[in-house]
Amino acid sequence: MAVQGDAVEVAGPYDRAKALSAFKAGDIAFYWITRACAISVLLILGGIILSLIIGAWPAMKQYGFAFLWTQRWAPSADPPVLGALGPMYGTLVTSFIAMLVAIPVGLGIAIFLTELCPQWLRRPIGIAIELLAGIPSIIYGMWGFFVLGPFLAYTFQPFMISLFDGVPVLGSIFAGPPSYLSVFNASLILSIMVLPFITAISVDVFKTVPPVLKEAAYGVGCTTWEVVRNVVIPYTRVGVIGGIMLALGRALGETMAVTFIIGNSFRISSSIFAPGTTISAAIASEFAESDGLHQSALMLLGLLLFVLTFFVLAAARLMLMRLEKKAGK
Amino acid sequence: MNDVTAAASVPPSRSPLPMATHAASYMEPPAKVTAHGLNFYYNDHHALKNINLTLGTNRVTAFIGPSGCGKSTLLRTFNRMYDLYPGQRATGQLMLDQTNILDPKLDLNLLRARVGMVFQKPTPFPMTIYENIAFGIRLYEKISRSEMDGRVEKALRSGALWNEVKDKLNASGLSLSGGQQQRLCIARTVAVRPEVILFDEPCSALDPISTAKIEELIQELAENYTIAIVTHNMQQAARVSDKTAFMYLGELIEFDDTNKIFTAPNDRRTQDYITGRFG
Repeated sequence: MAVQGDAVEVAGPYDRAKALSAFKAGDIAFYWITRACAISVLLILGGIILSLIIGAWPAMKQYGFAFLWTQRWAPSADPPVLGALGPMYGTLVTSFIAMLVAIPVGLGIAIFLTELCPQWLRRPIGIAIELLAGIPSIIYGMWGFFVLGPFLAYTFQPFMISLFDGVPVLGSIFAGPPSYLSVFNASLILSIMVLPFITAISVDVFKTVPPVLKEAAYGVGCTTWEVVRNVVIPYTRVGVIGGIMLALGRALGETMAVTFIIGNSFRISSSIFAPGTTISAAIASEFAESDGLHQSALMLLGLLLFVLTFFVLAAARLMLMRLEKKAGK
Repeated sequence: MNDVTAAASVPPSRSPLPMATHAASYMEPPAKVTAHGLNFYYNDHHALKNINLTLGTNRVTAFIGPSGCGKSTLLRTFNRMYDLYPGQRATGQLMLDQTNILDPKLDLNLLRARVGMVFQKPTPFPMTIYENIAFGIRLYEKISRSEMDGRVEKALRSGALWNEVKDKLNASGLSLSGGQQQRLCIARTVAVRPEVILFDEPCSALDPISTAKIEELIQELAENYTIAIVTHNMQQAARVSDKTAFMYLGELIEFDDTNKIFTAPNDRRTQDYITGRFG
């Protein structure tokens, strides 16, 4: 062995600079490949926005800003009268109700799983949550139509009507004839669909809280709830809000299940048990048999969804920044 | 100095015996925490074996010994911190005054308010400096804003931190340096007016200057609190403590006055450890 080692050393000065320059070439290639990947995202995003704008241009020219506050949607009139108020309202309301249900339930599951759950129950619940995320959205749609719809129409809605009959605002929110297809049905399905996002991400970030920090909080005499409320959630705020935003993004854009159960009515109703529509549901249900101005208006709807999502995310960022300022970072 | 003693004043009603111990330090102080035949298990691993000792009221007791000898484990039984983790359990007898610490029906939040803990790494909560202190107080007491301001100032003074942070109470606790964070944690612990304070290697992540400050602080706190400190630093144990316990492989080998342990230990293993022959 020793002899061999000597032999290598004797073999003499190899060209170190040359070896290094080979590495350098690899490094440069690596830099350009990763850079190209990153830039391609910008190109794709820009391309999508550009083609949406081009497609939506005729409708924009025709309707202008009135498109935003026109409720009537009559593509077969001559000339067609088209407005985005109904779908925009439906998108926001369904997402809002969905988040209203999914955030507390999702966080509740995450807190239970990380802080309170006995070891043997952890895996079954965790797997169930993952499976929930894996169910195709059309299955949710069918379940919503055949199971949740009848229950809401014939059991839940009459109960809510009798509960809030005559109460000024709440009365009209729950009023109306029973219908399988409703905004509320779609909202509930959406909340189930986004639940795994909130839970899975929250569980992951809750696990990043250093045990010693939790011990310190228990050490001054906190209950589990106080530890979660004052230490775990503030510590993981950014991650939790990130999860919620991801969920909201999905809720705003979810198409198939919603198209199935929302009823595709462009009329805005004060009742959440009445049919409605969302932007993505409207596009999905009408795009195939549209042309001309009608198709252009649907493209414009798509562009609006884009803008809406962008604003929601921007608002979330802003909220996060203000929270951080308050916490004194 | 005056501020510190005034700030750390403790409600007098808790100790069953009068606390006239400092006048005559050669006298044994009344016991605050008493362990009798204490055993501790991590699942099957027998981590503490038949521990018998007492922490004297308003005394500093240091725990030394090689890593894994059970010092921190013993400390964590004093406030039942091990309860957070399944598979860890203690048997035997462990009393805080007349309270049985190991009683399964004991209110843990109350116990931990009486037995505060400072950890190896500084653990400021993710909130402002002011809130870090006020948080613990608010758990037990409903007090007005101005009263709270007073309590926060007192606590920060007794943590020897007030002069450094009084102009930035609304900055995040995480923005402080390591040594300041550790003193913030001590102030936070003192703020809920505990009776016993446990220090688990409080200086091992700190520079010598911060360490000196905290050692000084520990001695000041001993006027009003019963203190247990785990340390790997022999000089530190010699400097701050009245009594020292040497532990090895889960057993309490020797427990005596600090002077005696460091000058004339009874046990061969203690001698070997403090002279650096093993550990």
